Amino acid sequence: MKNFFNINKFAVIIYWVIFLALAGMFFTNDFGLVDIHKTSIITAIGIDSEGEEVKVTAEIAMPQPSQSGENIRYAQVQGSGLTIADALNEINSKTGFYTKLQFCRLILIGENCRDNQLFRVLGCLYRKNYSELTALVAMCEGKAADMLANKSQVSDMTSEAIRKILSDEIEKSGNANTANLKDIALAEFSHSRSCFMPYVQITKPGTSEEGGNGDNVGGDPVEGGGSGESGGQGGGSGGQGQSGGQGGQGGQGSNQQGQSVEFTARKTVYFSNGLYKGILDEQQSFALAMFKSKIRLAVLPCEGGDIHHTIGLRNVEGDIGVKVENGVPKISFSFSATAQIQGARVKVDPSTTNKDDNVDDKVLRGAEEELKKRFESLFSVCKESNCDILGLKEYLYKHDYNNYGLVEKDFYSVAETECKINVRSVH
Amino acid sequence: MKISSRQICFIMIAYTAATKLLMYPTLLSMASGNDLLFSALIDFFIGTAVIWSISFLCSRMDKTFFELIKGTLGEVTARIVFGFFAAFFLLSTLLPIFEQVGYIHNIFYDTVPSLGVFLPFFVFTVYAATKKFTNIGRCADICLPIFAVSILFIFITAFSDVQWDNLMPILKTPALDIFRGAANTAYAFVEPCWLLMFMGHFKYKKGDAAKITLSYALGAATVLLFLAMFYGIYGAVAPSRTYAIARTSLFFPAIEVIGRMDLLVLFVLEIVMLFALVLNIQLAVYALVKCTGYENRMFLSFLVNGALLAITIFCNSFYNNINELFYNWMWIMYIVFVVALPVIAWLFKRRTA
Amino acid sequence: MVTLEKNIKSVKSVLSSEDILVFEFESEKGKKFAAIYADGLIDKAQLGELVVKPLRVVQKDDDLNAVKSLLASPEIKDGKNIKEAIKEVLGGNAVLFVDGEKDFAVIGVKKPPMRAVAEPPTQIAVHGPREGFIEDIKINLGLIRKRIKNDKLQVKTIFIGERSDTAVSIVYIDGVCPKNLPEKIEKEILANKIDIVPDSSYIANFLAKKPRSLFKQCGTAEKPDVFCAKVCEGRVGIVVDGSPICLTLPYMIVEDFQSVEDYYITSYRATTLRVLRVAAVLIGLLLPALYISAQLFKIQIIPFQLLLKISSSVAGLALSPSVEMFLTLFVLEVLNEASIRMPKYVGLALSVVGALVLGDTAVKAGIISTPAIIIIAFSAICLYTVPSNVETTTTLRWMYLIIAGSIGPFGMILFTAYLITYLVSEQSYGVPLVAPFAPLIRGDLYDSFVKANMYTLKERPKAFKTKDRLRLKKDEN
Repeated sequence: MKNFFNINKFAVIIYWVIFLALAGMFFTNDFGLVDIHKTSIITAIGIDSEGEEVKVTAEIAMPQPSQSGENIRYAQVQGSGLTIADALNEINSKTGFYTKLQFCRLILIGENCRDNQLFRVLGCLYRKNYSELTALVAMCEGKAADMLANKSQVSDMTSEAIRKILSDEIEKSGNANTANLKDIALAEFSHSRSCFMPYVQITKPGTSEEGGNGDNVGGDPVEGGGSGESGGQGGGSGGQGQSGGQGGQGGQGSNQQGQSVEFTARKTVYFSNGLYKGILDEQQSFALAMFKSKIRLAVLPCEGGDIHHTIGLRNVEGDIGVKVENGVPKISFSFSATAQIQGARVKVDPSTTNKDDNVDDKVLRGAEEELKKRFESLFSVCKESNCDILGLKEYLYKHDYNNYGLVEKDFYSVAETECKINVRSVH
Repeated sequence: MKISSRQICFIMIAYTAATKLLMYPTLLSMASGNDLLFSALIDFFIGTAVIWSISFLCSRMDKTFFELIKGTLGEVTARIVFGFFAAFFLLSTLLPIFEQVGYIHNIFYDTVPSLGVFLPFFVFTVYAATKKFTNIGRCADICLPIFAVSILFIFITAFSDVQWDNLMPILKTPALDIFRGAANTAYAFVEPCWLLMFMGHFKYKKGDAAKITLSYALGAATVLLFLAMFYGIYGAVAPSRTYAIARTSLFFPAIEVIGRMDLLVLFVLEIVMLFALVLNIQLAVYALVKCTGYENRMFLSFLVNGALLAITIFCNSFYNNINELFYNWMWIMYIVFVVALPVIAWLFKRRTA
Repeated sequence: MVTLEKNIKSVKSVLSSEDILVFEFESEKGKKFAAIYADGLIDKAQLGELVVKPLRVVQKDDDLNAVKSLLASPEIKDGKNIKEAIKEVLGGNAVLFVDGEKDFAVIGVKKPPMRAVAEPPTQIAVHGPREGFIEDIKINLGLIRKRIKNDKLQVKTIFIGERSDTAVSIVYIDGVCPKNLPEKIEKEILANKIDIVPDSSYIANFLAKKPRSLFKQCGTAEKPDVFCAKVCEGRVGIVVDGSPICLTLPYMIVEDFQSVEDYYITSYRATTLRVLRVAAVLIGLLLPALYISAQLFKIQIIPFQLLLKISSSVAGLALSPSVEMFLTLFVLEVLNEASIRMPKYVGLALSVVGALVLGDTAVKAGIISTPAIIIIAFSAICLYTVPSNVETTTTLRWMYLIIAGSIGPFGMILFTAYLITYLVSEQSYGVPLVAPFAPLIRGDLYDSFVKANMYTLKERPKAFKTKDRLRLKKDEN
């Protein structure tokens, strides 16, 4: 027995057996592999609801033979089923591709999913690690399948073009409120049970759908163009007076003629308990971004001395706190930033351009006023819809657990607000 | 001497942490929610105390644990006790092996490969389990820097997305849940038993007791920090995030650009995890050598690994049942082997004195 | 009285080969002599000048001592029996028989064909000495002596090889080298009975504890400055006659990552280069395996944009990723082997055929992809940053490739863990092969993958457990 287990005696034979076994597997390639030739690279999925069924449109990158560089064709393949997994399985059966979602970086939800429970729709993606939680989630105007079928001016890959408008850089300028799968998953288990995501719309190239940078608040906008109120695309929804509606207007909806389009995501959709509640307009979205994102440079239109100014906000510090005093939740918004004039509807005197950083008090107060208006508008949406977009209930649960139970139920109806806004000149 | 106190310190830092980065955070967050740190603290506190007591015992005598029992209760008893230890180490390896199977299949492969992909592990363990303490110590020398660099990378990449307030409100989880969390995950705390086996096999130098205990505490601190970061990132979703170590770097901004480079770090870290897992098997073989007096380690290694292989193949589909079994009952074994026996060792020491 | 003819006959009866020449001559007074030597191994002019010419004046009745006193050669020794005479003749010396004398004189006029001392092609240095060892043991020992002018330097020569009788010199510094190590090495070498020892690699095999191991177990040095530095650190050096590559023991893997130049340039640059070498070897070893592992099992490792490019390149290929990589590596190995063996003038044609015909055309024909060629080429370049370990690393690369294509990333990890377990167990004459990493020797880390300043390396490596530990002392005054 002792000799039998002397490994040195058998080492060479053992090594040869292992080598031959490995070589056999190497050349047969039959070990549950995922051959790069046979795998589809799903870059984005669009989810639409059709009655009881879920329709999934997968944007698939299909590499074409190329000796140098990249030669990719993108195709949209559709599948349907009672769940997303069912639909993906159907795509697999149609294409023969092994459908994996590791490279899926965008999940687009069609407007027709409004009546579905969001957490039920997306749950299968985040509960079982089906997809990476880094995937961006957005709701789009019209059908997701149509949106993904559009041709973009900025990228061959439609999803890539949409991702550009949901990028970190856009978020840092306050022009979009992005959300990923993790945010949605967290919302399901949070005490706020509310979440938001960007609302993607399309515009025809060369047209400015709603006034450039959203600097269309009242007055007589010159820079940026467009008409005053945001939206204007039909009726309100979810009780929100100024939020956008459904369907297409102008270049919106699908663009089947092959004409290139542009995408914007300056509005924000919000949900409570997984149910669609409404759409925040650009101003409200901007206000939300001021608190939810780390803003580097935001552009704000304002009135100063009856002249329309566009100012750039830097060193932005937005904070929301909530504390309970005598059984009443007191919400304090505080916001501070330094301002620089970026443009004004006046003729610029060349001799005073070096004083651009020294912003006039009237303009600063105008900016503060504008910001306050936007915050109040956002808060009123929260109050009316009883939707905790700002995550204040979750904040209270974490930071003041003892009082949380006291005010949880009628939080927004009894809450008092205090707004401290300080916009100052650089010099 | 076969192993040095420095190498034991390295084992206490690297292996302690490496064995608790897969399912432990997930299970703990499932049991204790945002108060998972307190459950972990309970186990680590007990572990640190026991580690200190054993290392302090080492400062008072240079006998091995086997000699200690033999000197007090006779050779037959010592052999029986080591037989139980062999069984304990074998059992302690089971669940981590199943965790590894899942981890390998889910994180290292895009499709769901067959169990065959994992089976070469046993080829390695048959070889590694024949190695003695010198080899164990030197492997630890290699593993510590690998572990340090990898975990540092994980911490740095995870840091950007941690929301520390996810750990709040503190201590609002029912105390029973916190204790249950600690008890249910106690199966992962076998480090004091490692030290019991190393007893008498290293030359004790002044201050080694403190060094070993502090090393264990450092390993514990690493795990605690990881737990905090993991829960900080995922909050209430944490219980559904299996194989925690593979989930924490996802949100690092550069990952989007350079791809899942963190996977390469996980591959490297897996080496340390394997050595930590193999240590239990090596000690099971050592305990069997002591129990049977049969010196042919290759035979015993075949025996131990054969048993593990058979269990792995037959129970592969019953991970949840085994998990539940360990989760609910392994703490009893923990109390006997990890807490009670080291205390008894002190009594034996007094007797022999 | 022993006649000259009888002596000559005795020698020729054993050395009957035609290249063993007998030169018979006599003095003016009629005393007869015979010089026996192997043709081509001695300097005939010296024989004439230092032996034949002075012996013209020998008297008829002069004995061997009187004859020896007239010889002008500085290297003369006595010989007693025919067996000894035969050994000396074969060793390249001339044996001088004197008529009427039983004993003989051995005259050192050895001049075997040899090349001049030159820079070795595999250890070229921009900074530092350019001398390299050659095939002659005496020259090599002279090059060593030239550098270590110390009374403690010991050279012990033994002979091995039943037929070649090759001289092997064990070189060490008494008091610096670990105790009993030279004796141990001598015993190990002499334990082998072999026909011929054509190169030092044979001795390296004799000294290896596990001759079948994939890993080197003996250090090598092709330059006397490297050899002397290693001997001064506490190693034992082995010089083998007929080989330009000397051996050093004990051996640690980290030695191969240390280039001779590292000690002649700034420590910052040396450290950078060492880290670069380690990284290059790791990349060279693992990159091809990782690439097919990613393609077959875990696409996610590859960054998205790069994945799209790779997918485009491999789309439409006839071969699976593993076979494609196997084929590419196979072609590289064939080209490598052929380029070494082929005459230089064919080499250029080979490069053209290899690079253009095989590489470019194979890509155009859709047999292999561009990324595969890039990866294999880069891997090959990387491995040559540590040339002394190329034999091992290229074999390991094959192993990793096969494992990656069959089991995938987990197989690679297991294999790495296996290598670690194996390597940390190995010792080279009492010194762990992977020291100073396992076991960790803190002081020695400063000359491992990093290279500290000269003043930090005051002590010899602790791994050798030498008695005389200090090698650098600075007088503060």
